Amino acid sequence: MTDGSDRPARDGVLAAEELVLEYPESDGPVIDGVSHAVTEGRVTALVGPNGSGKSTLLRGLSGRLAPRSGSVTLRGRPLDEYGDRERARELARLPQEPAAPDGITVEELAYHGRYPHRGFLDTVDDADVAAVDRALRLVGIDRLRDRPLADLSGGQRRLAWVAMVLAQDADVLLLDEPTTFLDLRHQLAVMDVVRTLREDDETTVVLVLHDIEQAARYADEMVVLRDGGVHATGPPASVLEPALLAEVFGIEAEVDPGRFGPRITPIGPADPTTGS
Amino acid sequence: MSGEIREPPGAAADTRLGWVNRQLVAVVVGSVAVVVTAATLQLSFGAYPVSPLGAWRALADPEVLLSAAAWRAFLLGGRVPNYETATLVVWTIRLPRVLVAVLVGANLAVSGAILQAITRNELASPFVLGVSSGAGLAVLLTVVVFTGLLPLLPLFAAVGGGVAFLLVYAIAWQGGTNPVRLVLAGVIVSSVFGSVQTGLFLLIEDIGLVQSVVAWTTGSLVGADWAQVRMLLPWSVAAVGAALLGARELNVLTLGEETAASLGLSVERVRFLLSGVAVLAAATSVAAAGIVGFVGLVVPHIVRRSVGTDHKRLLVGCVFAGPALLLAADAGARLALSPAQVPVGIVTGILGGPYFLYLMRKHGDFGGFR
Repeated sequence: MTDGSDRPARDGVLAAEELVLEYPESDGPVIDGVSHAVTEGRVTALVGPNGSGKSTLLRGLSGRLAPRSGSVTLRGRPLDEYGDRERARELARLPQEPAAPDGITVEELAYHGRYPHRGFLDTVDDADVAAVDRALRLVGIDRLRDRPLADLSGGQRRLAWVAMVLAQDADVLLLDEPTTFLDLRHQLAVMDVVRTLREDDETTVVLVLHDIEQAARYADEMVVLRDGGVHATGPPASVLEPALLAEVFGIEAEVDPGRFGPRITPIGPADPTTGS
Repeated sequence: MSGEIREPPGAAADTRLGWVNRQLVAVVVGSVAVVVTAATLQLSFGAYPVSPLGAWRALADPEVLLSAAAWRAFLLGGRVPNYETATLVVWTIRLPRVLVAVLVGANLAVSGAILQAITRNELASPFVLGVSSGAGLAVLLTVVVFTGLLPLLPLFAAVGGGVAFLLVYAIAWQGGTNPVRLVLAGVIVSSVFGSVQTGLFLLIEDIGLVQSVVAWTTGSLVGADWAQVRMLLPWSVAAVGAALLGARELNVLTLGEETAASLGLSVERVRFLLSGVAVLAAATSVAAAGIVGFVGLVVPHIVRRSVGTDHKRLLVGCVFAGPALLLAADAGARLALSPAQVPVGIVTGILGGPYFLYLMRKHGDFGGFR
């Protein structure tokens, strides 16, 4: 149980360089010139108000959205040079609201995470079984493995998806709002998994979080996005300051050092002139 | 066996035969029973009655079964050696019709299962998505206008079906697509192609040909013989084989594009290839038996309800249940109003229309995959 933060951090397992991202139907870029290197073995949280481009940046980092300009590199190699399966063995992304067909069981879903590891005609091997078992145990839904996803609560279902991504056994994990719409207990369960991954596996995790306080508690590093650009980066304690909260999130808040990182007590919307 | 108590029940899922579950066995056994019953009816009833036992005895006749000349005649074309009448009737007139029904049923069901997975839409089927009408138009054009190209009929049908499918996709596409738009686009394309088909009838001068063409457009197995079996067999084996090889890709696709891509599936390429397989399977059926509606919609749906969403199970179930439905429908079509023969497409339409309605009512979201 060593504290991960005193491990020597290697820089830039996943790095964006002057990244510009846009959707075909959007007018103008959603992400406009972001450069950021994700530290290996750490948890990085992307935070920012609605529409600041968090999820879009995550899609870009996963290679799902081709950059209009700039580049994304994974271990120093441009992401678009990787084959689809090859990339998926290194880099996994859990979309925001994934949908599964009716009747699929937790275990079947988890086995889909092994897709990039299996050749065209390969059957399930011991490594697959081990990875799925481990993922289900890590997420704590081992006992639900034969239940259909449709019978589970929203929180359990999300955990099942997390298990699928873990079974993918990638070094870099991108999670898009993994805790949104979950009750508190399941939010904590998901974030516990993230912490375990970081501490035991040196997995690099990048996640989009809505809840700034949650981000501050679990992340080693925060990337604050605003209007498609990076507004600030750094450890939560240094990033989260009342001035930033007012400027980026439009809230007036008090920030106190707490047991698990900075605690934010919102007081009200910031002065409308700064907010808009 | 009991040594590995810790081994969870599904851990060996999909190793060797671990993916076969009880429901799949039930579907396969039930389908085989229906196929055997319907085939017995088809082989024995008719203008030249043969007792059910006699029909099977004729089928098992070693003089035919073990005769290279007979098989050459069946599979490569040519003159069938002389046998007694019952044997000839069973082997050259009634058996091919049964085999065509089996192959067409399997093709349509597999095609529907693939299309439902890649569009993530339970209402998709070759008929609904315009593939059948596109293939039908191509077949009719070949039969009526370019008669010299008849041997390539399945290929032309596949091209026609493919063009129709692309058209449907293009019409339904608005930075993505959804079940409702796909179905509506299918209706649009089908009705345009249907009109052109009907227009072509006016170019045919031979009334007898018109009548058989009309029967064909509703889907008919009347007069199916070994020539149709020969045409269907290679394409069916190829299409069903390719579909089974793509079962895992189909599974991953049903998780949605985003997840599939994140799992390392080349979504666009796989979807294109599998659409091609689905179109080929549907088009060869159309080339052999005309436009038989709803089999591709109903069968995958019923099978999915019993075996679950895994596509290896689903496709294998479809390969058995499709023939069962089509063969039973054809036996009904042939024997219900005997001696008049109803095209089998009319029977599947009468059964399938209400089922489509039921699916629509059941799904508030109009057939989305969840």
